[in-house]
Amino acid sequence: MSVHGCAHLASFKSAKGTQSYRVLHAYFIAGITEEARKKKAQTCFCHTCCRHTSRLHACLYCVYFGCYDGKHIREHALSKKHNLAVDISYGTVFCFSCGDYVYDKELEAIAKRHRRKAAKLNGIKEQYYEWEPTNFELDLLRRNPRRKRISDNSYIGLRGLINLGNTCFMNCIVQALMHTPLLRDYFLADRNVCHFQDDPSMCLVCEMSQLFQEFYSGKSTPHIPFRLLHLVWTHARHLAGYEQQDAHEFFIATLDVLHRHCKGTNGLSSSNPHHCNCIVDQIFTGGLQSDVVCQACRGVSTTIDPFWDISLDLGPSLHLQSSTSGPNSTESMGNDIGLNEDMEPTSLLDCLERFTRPEHLGSSAKIKCNGCQSYQESTKQLTMKKLPVVASFHLKRFEHSTRFHKKISTFISFPQYLDMTPFMSSRRGKSSNSSRASDNGYTNSVSIADNKYCLFAVVNHIGTIETGHYTAYIRQHRDQWFKCDDHLITRATVQDVLDSEGYLLFYHKQILEYE
Amino acid sequence: MKTAVNQKLIETGERERLRELLRTRLIECGWKDQMKAYCKDIVKEKGVENVTVDDLVAEITPKGRALVPDAVKRELLQRIRTFLAQQTKI
Repeated sequence: MSVHGCAHLASFKSAKGTQSYRVLHAYFIAGITEEARKKKAQTCFCHTCCRHTSRLHACLYCVYFGCYDGKHIREHALSKKHNLAVDISYGTVFCFSCGDYVYDKELEAIAKRHRRKAAKLNGIKEQYYEWEPTNFELDLLRRNPRRKRISDNSYIGLRGLINLGNTCFMNCIVQALMHTPLLRDYFLADRNVCHFQDDPSMCLVCEMSQLFQEFYSGKSTPHIPFRLLHLVWTHARHLAGYEQQDAHEFFIATLDVLHRHCKGTNGLSSSNPHHCNCIVDQIFTGGLQSDVVCQACRGVSTTIDPFWDISLDLGPSLHLQSSTSGPNSTESMGNDIGLNEDMEPTSLLDCLERFTRPEHLGSSAKIKCNGCQSYQESTKQLTMKKLPVVASFHLKRFEHSTRFHKKISTFISFPQYLDMTPFMSSRRGKSSNSSRASDNGYTNSVSIADNKYCLFAVVNHIGTIETGHYTAYIRQHRDQWFKCDDHLITRATVQDVLDSEGYLLFYHKQILEYE
Repeated sequence: MKTAVNQKLIETGERERLRELLRTRLIECGWKDQMKAYCKDIVKEKGVENVTVDDLVAEITPKGRALVPDAVKRELLQRIRTFLAQQTKI
């Protein structure tokens, strides 16, 4: 296949222009209007053998369609001396004089325009196009000829972090963030913009960018994150000082400061429930649906709130659950998995099941119902309306109540691959009853594929509630796990990770949709 | 029958949507990268000047067909079934 077109196509274009290609492509290849699509459906078959499959080609000189596999287009080309034909499926031009397909920049540009138009007509959101460097990027590549190749046993991206005095709570979160695939790609692609023109040293986004550079520089000495610590102290005052802090609190505070420093444009072109298009919201924000059902009139009031992480209760259930008191909606709730009310959760799935189960709010918490305008008992159910790209789960191991403070060290198992489908708003609660009939049908198989997650980081806490130490397991790349204990990085197996006492669990969506 | 189904698929734009879905799935499961690597090997072995698209197609087609994951085939089949069921209803 020649890269520079061929003489036959060039002479065809200079004699007849690109008009015939343009029309052929608009009607029979892309189908850019409904009328064109109809024409395409009716006329796209081999004019010799009448089949519509087997690589149909259209003659560029006259109105003739012929199949390639059955060689009818070849016969036509040879007998009529029409040596150029277009592949109906892909729009590429075949030259029978050269015996191969030929590239042509001008025709490709036409094809691309038509494809975009047709995609819009067909309701295809955004097609995938491979990256093509711009002239500026080509220049950059030429001026920087050194390329880093990453092999399977490469240690790139792994760097220890010096503990600056009880700062392991920070180190473990930094390790998790540094190995969040989408966040890494964003920063390593230089997509971040600083909004601190007068004093960039105050910008946490710039510091993150700097950290990514440090981690992926190839250096192996531990990094000293004193600048980050200082910024955190400045921007999140409640974390300042040398006391032990909660890693979860640090994680949320970091996201909050990053979000504020990104200054995303609110309400524009964003589908996440925070209505912000900053990188933090694009990656971490999901939407939690809360349905409150009035027990008197069965009226439902629904609200959707953004979330950055899901905090999950451990230990025995404290609330009276509705499956013991709900009058008629019991079949659909909880019972599918058969979790006993009084059983303590022993796995992440148990926790999520409990989290999304309808909860009876009790007689002491009557809410005014909008339907019947009276104060009534009600049930509340939380479900996932919109899943974030990175799902972060916080297992509430630290229990603070008026009577006691204690740490729950129960082993909670968690999977390497997680499917969130059962916890979606569309599947749980009321709607699951109506859609049950079609559950094993096509909707099911598609949604399952789209809600799959893969574990990429786990933060662990060793010790008691008063004093302890944080470490993190991170996935460097596919199935390559490492344990990060401040400045020490050691290799680990997936089993080590899954057997550990997880505190924060980070999952990355496997399939990303275009917006 | 086959012709009628094909016409319906094209007319409604469903064929293009299916194609896009298939394209996405094949990229996701690594099929595209595998095939690309395989093609590269063939081109390297024979030399760029001595290989045509037909040669490539002939060599990679059996392997390409075999490597499409069953889950992808099932999903596509299910989509087509659903589409046809909807069409007959109308």
